[in-house]
Amino acid sequence: MTISVGLNCPACGGAIQVTEGDNVLNCGYCGSLLWVEGDTGVLTVAYRNMQDRDGVLRATERWWKKGFKARNLGQRGNLRECYPIYLPFWSTTTRVAGWICGYEERHYTDRNGNTRTERVPKEEMVLRDYRYTGIACDPGDLGIKYLRNTAGEASFADFESIPTFESTTSKDDMIESSKQSALHDAHRDADVPHVTFEKVTVIPKNIAQIYYPVWVVRYAYGERMYMVTVDGVTGEILSGRAPGDPLYQSLAVTGGTSVGGLIAAAGLVLGAAAEEPYFIIGGLFIGVVILGFTYLFFRHGSEIIEGDFKDKRATSPMDWIRSNLGGLRI
Amino acid sequence: MRVLQIKCPRCQQPIYSKTKDLAFYCPHCRTMHVRDGGVHIIDFDIAEFNVNAPQDRVYMPFWRLFSTVRIDQSQVAGGTLFKLGRLLKGTANGGNLFIYVPAWHTEVQEFKRWAMDMTESQPMYSLGTDFANVERLPTAVTREEAMRMADFVIVTMEAERPGTLQYLRYSLQVHDARLVYLPFVRGPGGVTPGF
Repeated sequence: MTISVGLNCPACGGAIQVTEGDNVLNCGYCGSLLWVEGDTGVLTVAYRNMQDRDGVLRATERWWKKGFKARNLGQRGNLRECYPIYLPFWSTTTRVAGWICGYEERHYTDRNGNTRTERVPKEEMVLRDYRYTGIACDPGDLGIKYLRNTAGEASFADFESIPTFESTTSKDDMIESSKQSALHDAHRDADVPHVTFEKVTVIPKNIAQIYYPVWVVRYAYGERMYMVTVDGVTGEILSGRAPGDPLYQSLAVTGGTSVGGLIAAAGLVLGAAAEEPYFIIGGLFIGVVILGFTYLFFRHGSEIIEGDFKDKRATSPMDWIRSNLGGLRI
Repeated sequence: MRVLQIKCPRCQQPIYSKTKDLAFYCPHCRTMHVRDGGVHIIDFDIAEFNVNAPQDRVYMPFWRLFSTVRIDQSQVAGGTLFKLGRLLKGTANGGNLFIYVPAWHTEVQEFKRWAMDMTESQPMYSLGTDFANVERLPTAVTREEAMRMADFVIVTMEAERPGTLQYLRYSLQVHDARLVYLPFVRGPGGVTPGF
């Protein structure tokens, strides 16, 4: 991404452009090679705010109409605040190069029930660049931890007029975190279940600090306050909280408990009649799973949450199972 | 943020270039320097073109790592005929070699191909004194990055032999890293060596 930074060539005074993450650039006018240094040796850029208040409010109203949010949110939602801020993010590129060798085990069962295990050797090269972003301050209740968008025009033109959160995390922590994430992702991509040898080199390629415009919308619904954040570049919703609809939740609770209970009871009855314990266990299991999904839908009471909140509802039941049953591979 | 004009640390002449290069070459005093946490003058080689090389010429930078490698133990599944061949030929398990790491910006697969091709072929060339106005690709890989990639090259050489590598114990020492500009000629099928 090429950006204008409002700086001039020290040799000829011409306006210069910088590519994110680069320390070296050429003056397009006099051809001088230039060296860019941030205040802490890190290239720092700000993205231009491309949204206005009306556009942000329209995006918020469109979001209100999606999903299982209160159906009368458009009428009863009462806007209190709508303002832009700059949030600092780290952006890193990390190269991973290496080999992960080992084997996977495949199990075969013949007609007589005899099981044979075959060990299949694997050698996987991992060679790619991984890019990560992470917020560089405490985002509080905004529900934003990562940059979803990395394209767009960047400029410091709005920097003075929009309140800016200061960076409070260190670049060394981000580099270390990126290295660990890259190593983890490389192992995942290599997909070698049993590792007998590995030699993997992780090289941080570049790091930049990006100030990204985010609009914060706070609104009231009944007695309670809610919020939405809107991407200042793309205009998309980044995170938000909204009241749920009692009708949807009642239907979920009623339907979920009824269906779950019926399946569990059917499993018990059929299993007892057929003297087949698998029916009983299967029916109970399916009934409990349905009740669990019902609980997931209802557990946040009357609130719908989107974004990187700590108390966010899992995006899917499988996500919830993964995050809550550590160590279980699905 | 601060922007500085890059000047030669030896003769203080400003350096002009149409490309972004991490290795800054001063055509006035033929000094090359890098800025990795400070300003450092580095040694470098320019290989001469073969006199018969066609005119669409380009210099491509490599970090040439003078290294000592010793393979202590290698366990490979399959590749029986190859292993038998190595045994009969009594292949040495160690020695000195130049590891070549591409220093320009490449996609990762291209990076691997160039590193393997040049390290396995160990190019022989005569030294020149300057670039003679031939285009050179900009350096985008630092010396430290190149040295860290040496392990990848060595393990790739072992892993790409027949069979499936299961275990490797080796030692690798990089004694010296030098930026080497090798001459190539552009053609319809890509670039070919021009030395």
